[in-house]
Amino acid sequence: MEIINGFLDAVYGIFQGSGLMTLNYQNYIMIAVSVFLLYLAIKKQYEPLLLLPIAFGMMLVNLYPAIMEPPSVQLLTAEQCQAMSIDTAGHAQRIMSDGTVLYENPVYGGLLYYLYQGVKLGIYPPLIFLGIGCMTDFGPLISNPKSLILGAAAQIGIFVTFTGAIFLGFSESQSGAIAIIGGADGPTAIFVTTKLAPELLGSIAIAAYSYMALVPIIQPPIMKLLTTKKERAVVMEQLRPVSKLEKIMFPVIVVILISIFLPDAAPLVGMLMLGNLFKESGVVDRIAKAAQNELMNIITIFLGVTVGATAKGSTFLTFDTIKIIVLGLIAFSMGTAFGVLFGKIMYKLTGGNVNPLIGSAGVSAVPMAARVSQRVGQQENPGNFLLMHAMGPNVAGVIGSAVAAGVLLNVIPH
Amino acid sequence: MLQSAFAGFLGGVTAEMDITQKSISAAKVILTGFVVVFSMLLLLILIIKLYSKIISTAQKSGKKKLEKIDEPVKISDGSKSAVFAPSADDDDDEIPEEVVAVIAAAVASLYGTGAKPKIRSIKKSGGGRSAWANAGVLNNTRPF
Repeated sequence: MEIINGFLDAVYGIFQGSGLMTLNYQNYIMIAVSVFLLYLAIKKQYEPLLLLPIAFGMMLVNLYPAIMEPPSVQLLTAEQCQAMSIDTAGHAQRIMSDGTVLYENPVYGGLLYYLYQGVKLGIYPPLIFLGIGCMTDFGPLISNPKSLILGAAAQIGIFVTFTGAIFLGFSESQSGAIAIIGGADGPTAIFVTTKLAPELLGSIAIAAYSYMALVPIIQPPIMKLLTTKKERAVVMEQLRPVSKLEKIMFPVIVVILISIFLPDAAPLVGMLMLGNLFKESGVVDRIAKAAQNELMNIITIFLGVTVGATAKGSTFLTFDTIKIIVLGLIAFSMGTAFGVLFGKIMYKLTGGNVNPLIGSAGVSAVPMAARVSQRVGQQENPGNFLLMHAMGPNVAGVIGSAVAAGVLLNVIPH
Repeated sequence: MLQSAFAGFLGGVTAEMDITQKSISAAKVILTGFVVVFSMLLLLILIIKLYSKIISTAQKSGKKKLEKIDEPVKISDGSKSAVFAPSADDDDDEIPEEVVAVIAAAVASLYGTGAKPKIRSIKKSGGGRSAWANAGVLNNTRPF
């Protein structure tokens, strides 16, 4: 009889602690959302390197919320300690007003809580930028520096969206974090959000990465709407070759310039340019390879899973998330539109030598946005190769969004 | 009344900011963002153009220096010297410096250290020997 009672108690205890009793309907909705995102990542291959860990982190935290819990202290009576077989010898005591003695029992945080510290403290995004720097060729930008204008123009969407967010009821710092989605740069969006509005990180990161994955769907209609057939068919002349010395000097000059004038952008731009110097100097091949492969992959796993784990049902399923997703789409579309419009201005000023389609690549999303410019251009003229021309504004967009992030961090009190 | 209702609708999260404050904040961010981002990137354009120009000028002048072999090239090891002055018609089809050095060294070794040979000009022989001439040279020079 005692055995059966013990067995039933144990089963009841397991059932009480199971997800069936502890999870609420919001958790289940989020689990369904995460399964849908996994489907998009695996079947549709939408940014799978990021979407897969994000979706899985989202699923994990909604199945087992304690995985993201911070460390805490449990107060237990002597009897409870005895029942839980905890040795009270080394534990601090607290004497309550009624004379009861309580023992402090430390409870360690969840696995993802500790990994999340790299996001919270702003460590992962600059490290991702280090890897991106190793993989980026600034040659097209150096050979055609005017493309920096397009990289700047595509950031206008950020600042216009700030207005929309603030009038939709978000605070200044929250509006700044939402607006940065327009930069179409995941690490930058995470970096700014952890500093300005950490409570919105899950929604903003997911919106930012979703829109980056949807670049080939969102951008072409805007590009076609704002350009004429003639403009889209412009064939640009070949870029001049860039010497090795120019490529080596570029990261050094950019980091000095931006860090002096806009120190808040220094962690992102500094790491980006350090990675690029690793690549261009040609003397630290081993480090360059480690930064763009092993380090970048490890950080991507940690970043993806922990960002996904910020999307707990109770905090994610709010009206604010819907507003953020709508505002993100506006920010992204405006960035694309302003890039194309400035491309049109350059088309006019150069007497038709610049194809305005390369302007849309000014939103970062490297190299997807440049590929979209190439594809839309080829639809008009199959013999037109805009890819390298679009890579200029594309990498300029990375610098531009880091500068825009620096501006937001500087202007908005946090 | 209407304005306050409108403000209430828009200001769900930030009740402490009224429409004027929001407008000021938005204008401040747009203006600062626009001016700072554009001026930073324009400054970058200027600097990239400037240093690209400096580098290309420096590289061009470096190339010119290499091309400058109109002046006699003096090869000297103390005891013997060889002076090479290419003729005007060599300009079109230049002989690399290394080849000149090898020819000078061959001449110096042939005449010994006592003589001071001077190479006045090096010319590429027209179209080379004919097949018959080559056969003759081979016949005479092949070791036996």
